[in-house]
Amino acid sequence: MTEKVITVPNKLGIHARPAAMIVRVAVEFDCEIWVESPADRVNAKSIMGVMTLAASGGTSITVSAEGREETEAVEAIADVIRSGFGEEMI
Amino acid sequence: MQDRYPDPETFSAGVLYESLGKKLALDSMTGTRGYNRMIVSPDISRPGLCFSGYTHKFMHSRIQIIGETEITLLNQLSQKDRTAAVANVYNFPVVCCIVTKGLSPPEELVSAAQESDTALFVSPQDTTPLIHDLTDFLGEVFAPHVSLHGTLVDIYGEGLLVMGRSAIGKSEAVLGLVERGHRLVADDLVRVRKAGNRLIGTGDALIGFHMEIRGIGFVSIPELYGVGAIKEMQSVDLAVRLLDADLVDETDRSGLAEKHMNILGVDVPMVEIPVLPGRNITLLLEVAAMMNIQAKDTGCTSAERLNRKLIARMGRNRLRE
Repeated sequence: MTEKVITVPNKLGIHARPAAMIVRVAVEFDCEIWVESPADRVNAKSIMGVMTLAASGGTSITVSAEGREETEAVEAIADVIRSGFGEEMI
Repeated sequence: MQDRYPDPETFSAGVLYESLGKKLALDSMTGTRGYNRMIVSPDISRPGLCFSGYTHKFMHSRIQIIGETEITLLNQLSQKDRTAAVANVYNFPVVCCIVTKGLSPPEELVSAAQESDTALFVSPQDTTPLIHDLTDFLGEVFAPHVSLHGTLVDIYGEGLLVMGRSAIGKSEAVLGLVERGHRLVADDLVRVRKAGNRLIGTGDALIGFHMEIRGIGFVSIPELYGVGAIKEMQSVDLAVRLLDADLVDETDRSGLAEKHMNILGVDVPMVEIPVLPGRNITLLLEVAAMMNIQAKDTGCTSAERLNRKLIARMGRNRLRE
C-alpha cells in the first residue's frame, strides 16, 4: 500500500474535466487506486466517483494504491493533480 | 420544397422544364429547341430595358422573365420596331425566356426564339409568385453541395450523419435504428447541400433506400419496413464518427469538450464513438441524438449542467470550512 497526501492546487478544484484527467491516468495501471477526501473514499478509475468527492481548490486529498506498480501509480496521479490540470491556480 | 434537385453541371433549359415545368405550368412555344442550353446562374432577369434599347449590362446568361410590362411594351410598337426590340434581346445568346400571366408572346418573339434555337416557355402563373418559386428552386440547384461517405438517419427529427471507415458497422447500426422506428434518409452516399446556414442531406436517386448489409446484400428498406421507415430529406444536425477503439483519443470522457465537423463551411456538432465488440452502437446513436436535441433545447449539454452543479457544491463546501 502506497499513500500520498496532496493539496488540490487549482482554483476550481476537481470538477468534471480534471476528474476525467485523473481517471485517464488511473486506468493505465493494473493496481487498485483510491482518492480520498475528508468526507469520502472513491475508486480513482471511476469518473463519477472522483467527481463525487467535490474536492475544491485547497482541499487535502489522499491518493493511495495497492498492487502492481502501486508506487508509480500514486506518483502519476499525484503529478496530474499537482499540475493543476492546466487551470488557474489558487 | 422538391425532394431532389438537378445537378448544376447538367442543368439546362430542358432539365428546367423536366424538373419545374409542372409546378410553374410551363408550356414550350418552341418544342424542344434550346433545351440543351446550360443555365449557369441562380439569378433571373427582366429584359424590359433591353427590349427598349438599353442593352448595356444585359444579363443574357440568366433566365429571362417576360411579364406584362414587357409584353405591353412590345405590343404598342409598330411591327418594324417590335422586330428590332426583340432583336435587341435575341442578339445575345439568351439562356431561355418565360412569358408569364398567360400572355401570348408576339409572333416576332416566337420566331426570334425559334431562329436562335432558344427555348421560349409560357406560363399562366402571375409574374411575382412564379419568380419566387423559380428563384427558390434555382437557389437550391446552385447551393454548395458535397457527397459524403456515410449514412444519414432521422432520429426523433434529428439528422444523424453516421461516418466511419467501411466495414466498421455503420449500416448495421442504422438498420438497428430503423428497426426501432427511426427513419433512413440515405445509406453509404449522402448528398449534402447548404441552404442558408443549414445542411440538407438526401440520398442518391439510383441507390434509393437500399442498404448494403454484408452477408445479405442489398436490402430495400421501404419494402421490408414500410414507407414510415424512410425519409426523402433531412437536415444534418449531428455528425457521429465511429472509430476503432485504439484510434480514439480518450482524453475527454466527460463529454465536456465539444467537437465539430466542418461541412461546406458549417460547423456541425460531432461525437466520436469508439467501436468495441459487444457495444450496442444503435443504442449509443439514439442516445447521442437525444442528447443533441436536449442540448439545443436547453442551450447547454448535460455534462455542462452536471459540472456546474459540482462546481457550486465545491463552492459551498469551501464556505463551510
